[in-house]
Amino acid sequence: MQWLVNKAQGLSKALNVLAGIAITFIMFLTVLDVILRSFRRPITGTYELAAFSGAIVIGFAVPLTTFLKGHVLVDFFVMRFPLAIRKTINVLTRLLGIGLFSLLGWNLILLGMDLYRTGEVSLTLQLPFYPVAFGVGFSCFVQCLVLIAQIFQVMGDSYE
Amino acid sequence: MSEVTIGIMGLATVLVLFMTGIELAFAMALVGFIGFSYIVSFKAGLNLLAKDFFDVFSSYGFTVIPLFVLMGQIAFNAGIAKRLYEAAYRFIGHIPGGLAMATVAGATVFKAICGSSPATAATFASVAVPEMDRYGYAKKLSTGIVATVGTLGILIPPSVTLIVFGIITEQSIGKLFLAGIVPGLMIAFFFICIIYAWCRLNPELGPKGERSTWKQRLVSLPEVLWVVAVFLLVIGGLMYGFFTPTEAGSVGTFAVLLLSVVKRDIDLKGYIKSVVESLRTACMVLMLIAGSQVLGHFLARTKIPMLAADWIMGLPLSPDVIMIIISIVYLVGGSFIDDLAFMVLATPIFYPVIIKLGYDPLWFGMIIAITVMVGVVIPPVAINVFVVKAITKQPLSVIYSGVYPFLLSLVFCALLLFLFPQIATFLPGMLMK
Repeated sequence: MQWLVNKAQGLSKALNVLAGIAITFIMFLTVLDVILRSFRRPITGTYELAAFSGAIVIGFAVPLTTFLKGHVLVDFFVMRFPLAIRKTINVLTRLLGIGLFSLLGWNLILLGMDLYRTGEVSLTLQLPFYPVAFGVGFSCFVQCLVLIAQIFQVMGDSYE
Repeated sequence: MSEVTIGIMGLATVLVLFMTGIELAFAMALVGFIGFSYIVSFKAGLNLLAKDFFDVFSSYGFTVIPLFVLMGQIAFNAGIAKRLYEAAYRFIGHIPGGLAMATVAGATVFKAICGSSPATAATFASVAVPEMDRYGYAKKLSTGIVATVGTLGILIPPSVTLIVFGIITEQSIGKLFLAGIVPGLMIAFFFICIIYAWCRLNPELGPKGERSTWKQRLVSLPEVLWVVAVFLLVIGGLMYGFFTPTEAGSVGTFAVLLLSVVKRDIDLKGYIKSVVESLRTACMVLMLIAGSQVLGHFLARTKIPMLAADWIMGLPLSPDVIMIIISIVYLVGGSFIDDLAFMVLATPIFYPVIIKLGYDPLWFGMIIAITVMVGVVIPPVAINVFVVKAITKQPLSVIYSGVYPFLLSLVFCALLLFLFPQIATFLPGMLMK
């Protein structure tokens, strides 16, 4: 099942690259806006563009952060148990994660469809909200793939 | 079953789940979602889940977190800390315990652009400890101080802990930053006093280093000056309302990046490394916030925060005793779970109590920040101590024996804050209306 682990890692890294581009974009855009604002030429819609890019920054960084075990967790209780119990607990927590993110991903897609149907857009630039919801929803499914890959890592003793 | 009982069961389930090794953010979101679904409806629970995550991720206000984290990572990868240490060493390295004092001084200035506590502990463990070894410093002093100085970033702006506290309690991040400056500098000063006193009592702990010439001292100064300039730009901009916190984060990050590129301290590879590392930290923090939002909405529905506030207010205890108990709850909870995670979890519950008791929210932020500072260096989850152990290969017992004396200054500062809240509140009161 190494191919699945590689696939999950590859997809997470690809999303992380987009997140990295988005944070760099926010930085340059905001700095440019601050500079131009002092010449009374602010960039229209900076606020909205930064907020939308912010969703990409965090939403798209979730799978790789999970893959690299970057989220806060408490493992010193679990580490006291024998390997077999640890493996069972790890599989169960991954399954809970899959349950959470599949529901979240699916409902973000539904939210996106709702936003698309109602034609909800941002105030200044009239940017539609739905692509952001779809993007983060997609990232949640990649997150599920990462969690599935971690189950295989647990089985193959390469998770801890 | 009453809603309060469901709420209490929900909180208990969160704590049990925390012990299973599941990501804390996932646990909070899961319990919040299931609890809300149980009380209202499954459909409402699903809506809450999607809406809370979407709102947190796409909020302009939250973009401040990845930006300030990125600023710190660039500063870290550009090797700024090393040169700040060298500058401080030039001035005070020749006095007893001077190299340890230089670590405090260098780290205090570095904290003005890098909020990460473990990153600072890691940098100074690899830079300052070998230097202190060269002059025969006792391991407990050298490792103890590098593990502890990292905590200063929790108070000294731009602190991620204070940003998160500001977001949760809807307080001005600019005011919180200003409130953290005096207590942060005070603690740094106490650290130096402790090193001085310790080395006076036992001169073998920190022998004198080499005395630098005035030429060497002056040459080392520009590094300090530009870091201070960036800090003043960020804090000054926030204070006078030129920038929003997000803009301050962008301008600060850009300034650090520009100066590091001009000085050839960082290349594209270094920048990419900084971005990747900062994304991981920022994502971790924002996932905690998103998870706590879902849990918070569930708890609000059960009215637990309100009832907890009324119950605590009804206790026959003075407000100060209640406040001390709350601080101990934060310390114990943070020690067993994670300090930032516990703050995110507990603040929505305790904050209404603090307000009802009439305490200043900024002051409360400082007390919580000091509690978190203690939490990152005491067992069982002492991230800074683990980082220093990994780099210096010293046993935990040696590092802890060096950390404990410095905890005194944190406790002393918390005590002073209790007695004189103005230490935290006068600067924001004077400079920001």
